[in-house]
Amino acid sequence: MTEPDTLARPATPDSLITRSTGLEPLDKKPWYRPRHVVLQTGGGIGMVAAGVGYSLGKDKNELDILVGYVPTKYAGSSLTIATAKYTYSPFVLPVGERWQIRPLTVGGYLSYTHGTVNDEEKGQYAKGYYWFSTDTRVGPVLGSRLAYRRRTPAGQPRNVAFYYELGSNDLYILSYVQNRKALSVGDILTLSLGLKADF
Amino acid sequence: MLALTGLVGCSLVEYSPNQTHLPTAERGLTTQTLALLQQMPRAATADTVRFVFVGDTQRFYDETEQFVASVNRQRAIDFVFVGGDISDFGLLREFRWVHQRLQQLRVPYLTVVGNHDLVGNGRAIYQSIYGPLNYTFQYGGTKFICLDTNGREYGFGAQVPDVAWLRQQLQDTTGSQRAVVLSHVPPTDEDFDPALIPTYTAALRGCSRLVFHLSGHVHRYTAGQPFRDGVTYLTTYSLAKHRYHIISLWGQRQFRLETVTYGPDA
Repeated sequence: MTEPDTLARPATPDSLITRSTGLEPLDKKPWYRPRHVVLQTGGGIGMVAAGVGYSLGKDKNELDILVGYVPTKYAGSSLTIATAKYTYSPFVLPVGERWQIRPLTVGGYLSYTHGTVNDEEKGQYAKGYYWFSTDTRVGPVLGSRLAYRRRTPAGQPRNVAFYYELGSNDLYILSYVQNRKALSVGDILTLSLGLKADF
Repeated sequence: MLALTGLVGCSLVEYSPNQTHLPTAERGLTTQTLALLQQMPRAATADTVRFVFVGDTQRFYDETEQFVASVNRQRAIDFVFVGGDISDFGLLREFRWVHQRLQQLRVPYLTVVGNHDLVGNGRAIYQSIYGPLNYTFQYGGTKFICLDTNGREYGFGAQVPDVAWLRQQLQDTTGSQRAVVLSHVPPTDEDFDPALIPTYTAALRGCSRLVFHLSGHVHRYTAGQPFRDGVTYLTTYSLAKHRYHIISLWGQRQFRLETVTYGPDA
């Protein structure tokens, strides 16, 4: 059986290349296709958070979209946390043939937590009763990354990286700013550990 | 990854600011404190019970340190009672920051849950770090009845405070000369479930051994009989006011209220 549609449509040059070489051409991925997958623990965005990310501006800027999970045992209710994290890593230092270090990563995140015990129902509070959001957090991150350099047979980079990030959030920072004697920077820090793999 | 998640024990790898996970030593503090209190002889003379009453430590960590220093200079104090709003955002770290400071007190401290402590997952955090939201204890011939009156946090609905429980506790005062009720939101406040004001105040009115009703929430000292029924309602200062009360109870329903000013401007 033949499909008339397939017959009627002329092959595009791209698909000709793909078919003839079996390789994806460099930089020809559609804009919406993520560049890497991410797996993270901690940082206030999940016991485990997984997602995908995009690279922008010569791979120095990255936008990761993650969904995290915290089980009831650790939070009193099971939390689902959606996070957007933007990071900038200005320096890329090669270490030998196989390794690469990004000594500085700075950025910020915005997270939304679903599933809290007291989930602010409509009409429960007068406007501005609690001036802060109990579910939306924003905060800075600062970290480093170590990557193992891999390439596809066609020479496209497929790095696998380990990273850590120290972070905080709006409510912790506010608590610190107003209690400079009692609280230290260490009191308001969180640590996250994660893996990023190109695909 | 699993091995790395074990780092949560050091609390730096935080899964969520709303998490409840605590070191074992910091769980169930109310039960721990009451066991300690029962072993302690009363600090004052005769049949007097003397305790510090303060409210709303929320986000006042600098002030909490000054408060602890001041209370530790007092003599003849049995315990400290914090009238709720221990935290501001209902976050685990806030509770721990306050506990780290209050555990420097030379006397035990007890708490009742406040509305800010019920924000987000605060209820589960309070239950984990302190214990039940409604509880009682007997000390020095006095029955202390502590209960959750933060009706707005439950969307009202005539569930909180648990008036049936309160009535039962006020009726059963065997072994006590007098009773005191402690809560965060007073029944005169708009955050108290309006549907429960008549039964709540009637339950208090019905107890002849009740000395008074103590609350925080309003961050200032008020005293009176707002329902004109012979029941006295007091509210106390927040930590930001650099003031606290020392309450002495003796005899049948006798009490004395002292106000202490502390901190750099005292």
